[in-house]
Amino acid sequence: MDIKYINPFISGFLNVCSLLGMKTWQRSSLDRQDTLRIEQEVNIIIGLTGETRGNVVLSMSELTARSIASTMMGGLPVEQFDMMARSALCELTNMVAGNSATNLAEHGTQINITPPTLISGKNLLALVSQIETLVIEFTGQEGKLVINIALES
Amino acid sequence: MVFLSTVYIAPFIKGTAIVLTDMLGLTVTRGEPEVEGDLFKSYGFTAIVGFTGGWRGRFLLDMSPTTAVALARGFTGEEYQSEKEEEVLLCGAELANIISGQAITYINNSQPGMNIRLTPPSVFTGEGLSMFNIHLNSSSIVIQTEAGPVKINAAVEESGE
Repeated sequence: MDIKYINPFISGFLNVCSLLGMKTWQRSSLDRQDTLRIEQEVNIIIGLTGETRGNVVLSMSELTARSIASTMMGGLPVEQFDMMARSALCELTNMVAGNSATNLAEHGTQINITPPTLISGKNLLALVSQIETLVIEFTGQEGKLVINIALES
Repeated sequence: MVFLSTVYIAPFIKGTAIVLTDMLGLTVTRGEPEVEGDLFKSYGFTAIVGFTGGWRGRFLLDMSPTTAVALARGFTGEEYQSEKEEEVLLCGAELANIISGQAITYINNSQPGMNIRLTPPSVFTGEGLSMFNIHLNSSSIVIQTEAGPVKINAAVEESGE
């Protein structure tokens, strides 16, 4: 996967977090996997088509998801991972993807994004990609999440 | 709204019936399309393909783990013990890819200018599996086969591209 596709997603995520009042998030690690298998409880997937094609998945625990939803809703406690919390997480991912797509366009790569789909459950196993995937971990006050980026060159 | 939601799923019903019948030799019986809303509860094994263009959204091919294993067996001729085996996951993803490819080809050919493009497929399995789409109503239909029921779901919005 071309490395030029990565920074737009990192800055897209950090920009959107900052915009939503989550200013403590930082990139904590970067890993590379041959195929993308994820085993987290909450995953939000966005598909990409255009000059590059693939999937981007935000994966996190339910605790982190509720904590992010709470911050996005002005600190309102989120005890249940209900429709409101799911909507908040989808909106966050949509904003991150939109921001990243704009960043990519500025670097000359035009992409289209699908609406986000939030997948949740227990003991999840997922196979999202058969191609090399970059796994970027972020840590912030709300917890820890990873952005998995699997794009065809 | 109800009418529109169910219209979107029609090409996917056709694609699923063709693939299950012609590729896997199954007999299929379909029910009636139903509006699902924005939360979809899975039978336990789901393959997802997204699309962009004149229609934006995603297609789900959903089934129980037992059905996923049976379909994978029919697809490759190999025996599998669990839906968590990589080849079973890959078969589910490939079936969803072929079905949505059929559906999108039909839409693009019958409605020039739609220019719908597919994302690569992904597949999920687990307990209490559910899918949620914001601001996107979807419709589902259950297709009965010898391998077990297969539920398909399409969530679509027209993007006006």
